[in-house]
Amino acid sequence: MEFAANITLAALLQQVLVGLSRTTILFIVASGLSLVLGVLRIPNVAHGSLYMIGAFCTYTVATLFGQSTLGFWLALIIAPLIVALISFIVERGLFCHLYEREHLMLLLFTFSFTLVFGDLVKLVWGSDYRSLTPPAFLMGFITISDLPFPKYNLFLLVVGPLVAAGLWFLTQKTKIGKIARAAAVDREMVGAIGINVNLVFAAVFVIGCYLAGLGGALVAPTQNITQGMDHAIIIEAFLIVIIGGLGNIWGALLGALIFGLTDSIGILVWPQFAIVFPYVAVVLVLLFRPKGLLKSTW
Amino acid sequence: MKTFAWFCIALAMTLVLITAPAQAAKAFKIGIVDCYSGPPAAYTNDVRDAFKLEVDKINAAGGILGRKVEVLTRDSKFKVDIGLSAAKELIYRENVDILMGTINSALALAISDMCRKEKVPFFVTFSKSAKITGAKGHRYVFSITENTALAGKAGAQGLAKRPYKKYWIAGDDYEYGHAIADGVWNNLQKIKPGVELLGQSWWKVGEPDFTPYITAILSAKPDAVIVATGGRDCVPFLKAAKATGFNERIPFFMHTATELSTLKPLGLNAPEGVIGTSNYFFYYPETAANKHFVKNFEAVYNRKPAVGAVYGFLAARYIFGAYQKAGVIDTEKFIDNVEGMWVDSPVGKVTMRAYDHQAMLPMFMGVTQKAAGYDFLIAKDIVTIPGEDVMPTIEEIKKARMK
Repeated sequence: MEFAANITLAALLQQVLVGLSRTTILFIVASGLSLVLGVLRIPNVAHGSLYMIGAFCTYTVATLFGQSTLGFWLALIIAPLIVALISFIVERGLFCHLYEREHLMLLLFTFSFTLVFGDLVKLVWGSDYRSLTPPAFLMGFITISDLPFPKYNLFLLVVGPLVAAGLWFLTQKTKIGKIARAAAVDREMVGAIGINVNLVFAAVFVIGCYLAGLGGALVAPTQNITQGMDHAIIIEAFLIVIIGGLGNIWGALLGALIFGLTDSIGILVWPQFAIVFPYVAVVLVLLFRPKGLLKSTW
Repeated sequence: MKTFAWFCIALAMTLVLITAPAQAAKAFKIGIVDCYSGPPAAYTNDVRDAFKLEVDKINAAGGILGRKVEVLTRDSKFKVDIGLSAAKELIYRENVDILMGTINSALALAISDMCRKEKVPFFVTFSKSAKITGAKGHRYVFSITENTALAGKAGAQGLAKRPYKKYWIAGDDYEYGHAIADGVWNNLQKIKPGVELLGQSWWKVGEPDFTPYITAILSAKPDAVIVATGGRDCVPFLKAAKATGFNERIPFFMHTATELSTLKPLGLNAPEGVIGTSNYFFYYPETAANKHFVKNFEAVYNRKPAVGAVYGFLAARYIFGAYQKAGVIDTEKFIDNVEGMWVDSPVGKVTMRAYDHQAMLPMFMGVTQKAAGYDFLIAKDIVTIPGEDVMPTIEEIKKARMK
């Protein structure tokens, strides 16, 4: 009932760790969204749908292997690739003809895809709830100062920094990353010096969507795989991208950290009104830095 | 005179010719508005499928008073505006004799209000709002499902028998969550004075990760937790409970925890020892009537019936039974006959209370456990709480309607 009734140092540490594991998922999904937004200038509302498809594919692949440990690893590799393949087809078939259109058109276009993908999921997987169990070695929990911490969340804490490092390498150290960053700033100029911008765009779009699929695959063992999970994530992902700075991947990381940590600590501090904490944080950021925390590429 | 007689005969024959085929052709129409897309479909499909199964039987036996029964379904997509316009279309264009639905409480209340004005009987099949037959009840609305008041009372009775004193309440921050939490807590305080509420946590519907909520509750160390969550949030909550070992540390009650739609997707990795209540299990009660019902349902749909199937079955039996008794197709006479009527069902005799039009369904409280022969957890140690014991008193209903 009371405000801040149960705060101990152990409980606080626990909430920070749980919040960080949630941050991992949020960061992976939001960074993909931010990448597409920054380079291609597409506000991809269907990003959440790809996340959902990623989760469903993970379920199917893992179940094919009897939800074994091998099945889990294979699903983690295959499911995001399926999502990447779908996005490649969509990009080459449709999006590549629409880059010159205004943002509103693109927004409506991607919105139509949320409906198409939503129905597609219903057709393929039906409306029953699906649940995937984590592999045996990630089941259960470890105890940190008498409070349980799920092993799967520990796994997420390892994956998060790995993905962040991978993204850093991709954008800073590879040629395609450098071209993509250049194209984000001035796409005419990149085209003028003889680089096939379309191909770069396709690659970036596929990588962004791959991240949505990866987020879906990672989240699958922790929650209910069902229709509607697309709406829940896309709102949070957009908020994170906005407070971080449109198109800035490190902004997405910062935004995800703020969102994930205010959420989990808010739950401990004032459980009755925990829902509002991350949104209050978003409002505060936008009040003081309306363009986001880090430099926007827009 | 002779001409007049001929005229009468001709007129009579014409009337016979016009009305006879028309009457034979005019079907008895029942409209169902419910959400068949998105997560709620996991519950609503069983209502519709079991209902259609019974309607097929009724039609094979000659229909309702000689009229063939036609079922029209509409998808509300869980939206009040879409559902309401579908209900309007069914009433005004299709001229349905009876309307059924819906899992969305706001929509159920809106359709109920429309049916009151249009004098069309409305059978509420899944909404858990106690207002339907409580504060907002009227002559044309019937509920054939339990609601938050009934489940709250049942949960409180079960919990009162256990030795817990310090409670925590956690749930979905919308009407269902608050209503069921209030239902359990208010009744529990009445039955067992001295229980103490340590705190509450409320999350948004569709919360993706319950781990931070569970760890926060654990650090408060209550004796037991009342988890007021429903629908699609049950599965992820139980998942997080298993992942954190929550069920091994603190016992918790979750109304729909033992239902098939919740436990089946989790397989053998659902948490054990969770206390739940439900109107029906395909494995309980172990009666011939239930076994027969399960066999029939499985033969057609190739899956086990969940709780919704009983609601669909009951709707069909009440509608058919009351019209048989009424003997004519007349809405007012039909309603008079449904009032106080009982039907045999897989869960035994179920009476429709005349005063508030609430079906008096028994509630089964059980604890999740692994069992031989099932690849998912089932409810064990089941205690049956009879319908009479969980119903609000008529005085309570009167008081609610006065407000």
